[in-house]
Amino acid sequence: MTLSQRQMVDNDRSRFDFKDEIVYLTETKRGLTRETVEEISAIKEEPEWMTKFRLRAYDHFLKRPLPTWTDGLDRIDFDKIMYYRKPSEREEKSWDDVPDQIKNTFERLGIPEAERKFLSGVGAQYDSEVVYHSVKEELSKIGVVFMGTDQALKEYPDIFKKYFGTIVPPEDNKFAALNSAVWSGGSFVYVPKGVEVPLPLQAYFRINGENTGQFERTLIVVDEGAKVHYIEGCTAPIYATDSLHVAVVEVIALANSKVRYTTIQNWSNDVYNLVTKRAHAYENSTVEWIDANTGSRKSVKYPSIYLRGRGATADIISVAVAGKGQHQDTGAKAIHLAPDTRSRIVSKSVSKDGGRASYRGQLKVAPGATGVVASVRCDALMLDDESRSDTYPYIDIQEDDTTMTHEATVGKISQDQIFYLMSRGLSENEAQNLIVQGFLEVFTKELPMEYAIEFNRLVKLEMEGALG
Amino acid sequence: MSDALKLPFAGEDFVRRISADLEEPKWLLEERMDALRLYDELPIETNNLFTLYVDLRAAHWNDIEPYREIGDAPGVDETVPEGVAALIDVGEDAIVARAMSAEARAAGVVVDTFANVLRTQPDLLRKALEGGQTLPDDDKFAQFARSHAALGLLIHVPDGVTLEQPIVVRWSVGAPGRGLITRTVLSLGENAGARVLEEQLPSAAHTGEGQSLWWGTTETLLGPGARLSFAGQQDFAGNTLSIVNRHATLEQDAQLNWALASVGAQLSKSRIDNRLVGRGSAVHQVEIGFGADRQLFDATSYTRHIGTDTTGDLLSKGVFLDRARGYYKGMITIERSAHGSDSFLGEFAMLLTKQARSVTIPSLEIDQPDVRRAAHSSSVGPIDETEIFYLMSRGLPREVARKFIVLGFLEPVVARIPLADAQDRLRALLDAKWPSTSEAAA
Repeated sequence: MTLSQRQMVDNDRSRFDFKDEIVYLTETKRGLTRETVEEISAIKEEPEWMTKFRLRAYDHFLKRPLPTWTDGLDRIDFDKIMYYRKPSEREEKSWDDVPDQIKNTFERLGIPEAERKFLSGVGAQYDSEVVYHSVKEELSKIGVVFMGTDQALKEYPDIFKKYFGTIVPPEDNKFAALNSAVWSGGSFVYVPKGVEVPLPLQAYFRINGENTGQFERTLIVVDEGAKVHYIEGCTAPIYATDSLHVAVVEVIALANSKVRYTTIQNWSNDVYNLVTKRAHAYENSTVEWIDANTGSRKSVKYPSIYLRGRGATADIISVAVAGKGQHQDTGAKAIHLAPDTRSRIVSKSVSKDGGRASYRGQLKVAPGATGVVASVRCDALMLDDESRSDTYPYIDIQEDDTTMTHEATVGKISQDQIFYLMSRGLSENEAQNLIVQGFLEVFTKELPMEYAIEFNRLVKLEMEGALG
Repeated sequence: MSDALKLPFAGEDFVRRISADLEEPKWLLEERMDALRLYDELPIETNNLFTLYVDLRAAHWNDIEPYREIGDAPGVDETVPEGVAALIDVGEDAIVARAMSAEARAAGVVVDTFANVLRTQPDLLRKALEGGQTLPDDDKFAQFARSHAALGLLIHVPDGVTLEQPIVVRWSVGAPGRGLITRTVLSLGENAGARVLEEQLPSAAHTGEGQSLWWGTTETLLGPGARLSFAGQQDFAGNTLSIVNRHATLEQDAQLNWALASVGAQLSKSRIDNRLVGRGSAVHQVEIGFGADRQLFDATSYTRHIGTDTTGDLLSKGVFLDRARGYYKGMITIERSAHGSDSFLGEFAMLLTKQARSVTIPSLEIDQPDVRRAAHSSSVGPIDETEIFYLMSRGLPREVARKFIVLGFLEPVVARIPLADAQDRLRALLDAKWPSTSEAAA
């Protein structure tokens, strides 16, 4: 351990965080009651089935104990959370209509620029409601729906009701129940049969306001033979008390479709980020989760793929960077339920400045799922003595012709590598940065170019912050 | 499932009566009572990672009555078998053979029951047992054995003594409705060296009607520079429940080799704890399981790196036929103090029938990145068709080729058994396990 590695302290993440004063037009009282749930549904003028769904979820949330297999969740004070806020009255279709104050925040996040250059559609979430939304005209023409989940409930009630809550039912886990009770915002995507969306769909969203919970719900339905890439990324301001982000993402990949879902999670260090992300993959479809977690105080997130149709493929890349005070409890699940299905899980984690990175994953081959080929690879890099790295893989195989391999390694940056790079004229800091970026390249190379640049910049900032 | 351990025979009455019958000193009764308290308090599995993979439903505890008195059989055999330093043979509730070579005796080696050692060298036993450091204090099963054991064995090799010939410990049980609860303490002094072979066999009383129970421990203390090779062969009858805790504490430069094979028993539950305390200490562990019918092999392994420059090299392999299941749960912990650790955990399984099942959980918890290696690896796969093709091209029928490949997969453990006879016996056992007409033969 070199001196400078030991000096990696005081990782100041505030450079990513800024906050604006927002006048909230509608908000609920702090804490969660049956009345709060009913009030949210009433404000949104939802159909009765959704109100009932929310209340069923609320009842389950109360009954379900907190999970005990990961620690620290008992520090969340559910009574201090505000479960619903609506910052502007209507859905915005054009950037010009977005209130200036909110626009300023997005400007600082670089959204308009990204929108002009690359985006085929933008759904940006500001607290609990979608405030800005646009879909390129040509996408609308070919029938692609990309809008806020609340709006979709009103405009596409049939397809919404058919799929909503079927992939992640409220009873799945305590936080899925919480999200189901109070969900607000998120994206809805429908891609019709045979349509290939030529550009990624992107949704930026961010939390603002102390003690605000963010409970977005995303539903993506990709019809037979269709193809789409959805991208989300986020930042949030730092506050002294704990914030909560509890999301549910449901993806349905029908036969022969292809879905890629990319996330760069960069919540501020006070946020508990507890997310249930799950996809059902039907015959010959491909689902890819590309998932990076650099922010939050604690993330609990295992993107999952249920391989339900013959020949379906699952590909999951999970990246975690845990700095001071952070615990990234992340990983992936591949559940093989049909014959000739394939899965690949690659996990890369970096822990530093006392951070803890835990890989938790599940690979299951159910009876009847013959001819499965599956692989899991977990690599962890620890940058100092104070940090911690864990690997908790579960591998449950119930078919005799399964081919499964799993490998994991944990280590530090070798002094030989540093020495070699320094001999080529790099500073020690640059050398480390380069090695960490190389270690994470399996993730960055899957990103669209502008995201890859942004992500590498983020990693560099983290490393520099550490080295001061 | 995790609250399913209700042992009708467990409790203070049982413990006090056994201790009184054995005329144990007060400190040993207190040991038992400490263990009983832990046993009562502990859940069936304390590690949240593993709670989903404990399945004791096969056990009919209510139909089992453990032996309370274990004594010498009439005419204990005291002849020393060829090539053996010492032997102790326990059949059901009697010690049927107890023998030691003249040189081992002259070197001060002890292989005897707790009851006898308490008469001759009480301090030796007290030093090893008092405080309960030889078993994990978070394990209900270990604490059950520590509190309820009706028989204890001590194997002690003094400082500087190296035995060339192995010590053999043999257990035979199988009588329906009966159970043997035991502890075995194995202590090697500074720079001592020994090989131990433990055989677990069906007794003549085994009828297959009703369950029998063997519940035991291997509590190992290795002094500085000590070297122990421990080979275990579990081939109990199909009516037997086998529960074992093996625990080892290694001081500086101590070396431990475990080679453990499980072939028999209806339910075989084991937990191994390796504590690498001393600088430069090393454990090499190889476990195999070959299951058929509805056998369940539940094997947990903890290796804790505490001292600097320690080595943990752990490999488990399972082959499963019919509806057999293997639950292989592993945890490597590298503590902050353990600079320069080299740790590897491998868990590999071969499923030969559609109804067989393999669960592997090879976990790592690393607090010290300054390692030589920290890795795990796991795989599950069918028999490689290319290998079958190759063997068939050499003139072997398909079925024989499959068998060769499976036995070859398990051979690395067989090769580590210290006695040639025992190796051959294990090979024969594995060979016999291969079915002539099961689905696997198709």
